[in-house]
Amino acid sequence: MTMSGIDELLMRQRLLVAVGPGGVGKTTVSAAIALRAAELGRRTLVLTIDPAKRLADALGLTGLDDRIREVPTDELRKSGVAVPGRLFAAMFDNAASMDTLMQRVAPDADTRDKVLRNRVYRAMAGTLARSHAYLAMERLHEVMSSGHYELVILDTPPARNALDILDAPSRLATFLEEGVVKWFVRADKGRGLRAKLMQSSGAAALKLFEVVVGKDLAHETIGFFEAFAGMREGFHTRASAIQGLLRAKHTSFVLVSSADATHLVDAEALATGINSRGVAIDVAVFNRSYERLTHADPLQIVTEAGELDVATTVRLLFGDELLRSERETMTELVASLHRVRTEAAANNLRALESVRRLARLLPADALGLIIARLDGDIRDLPGLHALGPYLTAARQIRG
Amino acid sequence: MNNSLLDRRLLLFTGKGGVGKTTIVAALALEAARRGRRPLIVELGHRASMESVFAIDKIGYAPREVGGGVWAMNLDFESALEEYFDEHIPVKRVARTIMRNKTLQKFFHAAPSVAEVAILNKLSALENLREHGRHRWDPIFVDLDATGHAIMLLNLPSVMDGLIGDGPMRRLVDGFSSLLTDPRKTVLSLVTLPLELPAQETVELYEKLAKHHDVELGVLFVNQVPPRPLSTKQAAMLDRLEHRARKYQITTLVDDVAIARRAMRYHANARGQINRLRRDIGLPMVELPTIASRSLDLETVAKVGQQTMTLLDSGREREETLTTVP
Repeated sequence: MTMSGIDELLMRQRLLVAVGPGGVGKTTVSAAIALRAAELGRRTLVLTIDPAKRLADALGLTGLDDRIREVPTDELRKSGVAVPGRLFAAMFDNAASMDTLMQRVAPDADTRDKVLRNRVYRAMAGTLARSHAYLAMERLHEVMSSGHYELVILDTPPARNALDILDAPSRLATFLEEGVVKWFVRADKGRGLRAKLMQSSGAAALKLFEVVVGKDLAHETIGFFEAFAGMREGFHTRASAIQGLLRAKHTSFVLVSSADATHLVDAEALATGINSRGVAIDVAVFNRSYERLTHADPLQIVTEAGELDVATTVRLLFGDELLRSERETMTELVASLHRVRTEAAANNLRALESVRRLARLLPADALGLIIARLDGDIRDLPGLHALGPYLTAARQIRG
Repeated sequence: MNNSLLDRRLLLFTGKGGVGKTTIVAALALEAARRGRRPLIVELGHRASMESVFAIDKIGYAPREVGGGVWAMNLDFESALEEYFDEHIPVKRVARTIMRNKTLQKFFHAAPSVAEVAILNKLSALENLREHGRHRWDPIFVDLDATGHAIMLLNLPSVMDGLIGDGPMRRLVDGFSSLLTDPRKTVLSLVTLPLELPAQETVELYEKLAKHHDVELGVLFVNQVPPRPLSTKQAAMLDRLEHRARKYQITTLVDDVAIARRAMRYHANARGQINRLRRDIGLPMVELPTIASRSLDLETVAKVGQQTMTLLDSGREREETLTTVP
């Protein structure tokens, strides 16, 4: 882990992809990083999946649609925080986006209507999670090629699904690629999928497909792919572009986790999966990972509670002024306080060990950011701004 | 509930990632085994969570014994699809040739609903499997990846309804649908944390399930319930102590007071969320102290399972909290 905070990265990169298990505050961290970039003067867009209600309100994402909105930063400016850049935010809306996408990529109105009316498509657009990742990638491609933003922060669906971000474009593309499509669509037009399927190998493939899903569904599915075939070139081009985008030099993956055992299991699997796809994780953020034990330095991760002589402390503070019952309670209280501190320090140590274990799976020069457990939910821009010191703090976590 | 949670055939568990579903499933499965049953844990997709609870290196598609009389398997899509072909295509050679074709593999990967059907087929087969006149697996615990997974599984029959005609697939979906909606056979339990967002999501999920789905709902598990840091009597003296610590400038003690106040706030917030879950969710509730698979040995996990079931079977689940886990 290097000794610099995230600022240098925010000035250099064009795309940050935040991945991580569910429930670690990935959306909040993504938004805080985006705000930090805007504070550094960058024109920044944060694309989020499913922000909590209050955070969505703070980002001005009150509608249910997926339009890009500028986040008003006046509130922050009034409190003396300079925000020379601009901050934009948008939220994904699944079913709607899929339809919008189809409308955009369809070569003509006829194809578009065929797809949108297809029952297989309707079932897929509404219920299947696998299309989610693909849509996120499509949306990303759209905003990146718009040229409107200097930096885009992409918040992704939780945990293992995040690997779909890397796999989805190529999966759909290979599927639509010549190799696959030639099974179904003949070179000479007019006979199409069904005819092809009736021939030798194709006949066997169709039979097999019917066995799996039944005759009706098989035919509806083929109808879907027939309509889809006309769009395959567009899909293929964009899929390659997206793959290029995700692996570009100006793209960084940010792994967001907590130091909780349950999250770390997922985070480790994710780190390994991302590595095996030839993508490096440049930043690891451990959110809500330690308890602040010294008010003078909230960034310090205290792992030892030290000793406390309870009886002496009580005598020193109160002399003889306490009644006997009061003295007893006060002694218990001081002992309890020390117990709470000792437990917190032990938890901090455990957290730090977990963080180090995960860090070993990351590239040696990856940046490690550890955020303390803060009071209450983050519900406004000042709350996001308060994460700043943790994002820019230099920490040596590779023990 | 008129019968024990463990008496069902299919125990589904859902909850946001990281709430400790895996540990709870493992704990209950260990308890089922202790009671002389033959439990199987089914994890969906490529997960390694159970491996770390049972300290086992590889849990694959074939069920294996993982410890304490519990068996586990990983229900992955590719293997399930292969098995489906083997069962439904009369000429095995044809099935294999086609399965080995890379192009077609990709096709099946991308085609909608194929994965779901294959998974459903396997779950049905596991449920139907008999040995010496008894169910081979009894009960089957299904660790659903996330809340979306549960909804997907429950929605499948209605999604498929308009799409499939008669045939093996119709029988499969209908059969599974009646298994899912039979309250004596299938029960879905929820796992959550006493924090605002997970609690909110759980309430929303519960309302959705109660309104739109016929599945029987079982138990609400609330994990990572923090202990009370200070007694009321002690808390009443905090101000006095803080005042004195400031006067004498004992900064660590001032910090200690701040740390304790924060701990009390975490505790109060957690209690607030628990009260709200009680109010909005009409299910028996079990509160669990902080348990995490990594820091617990199998014996402790088994003890959690035993205490949980004792509590549930006693019918006093609404008043009590498990506190004896170290």
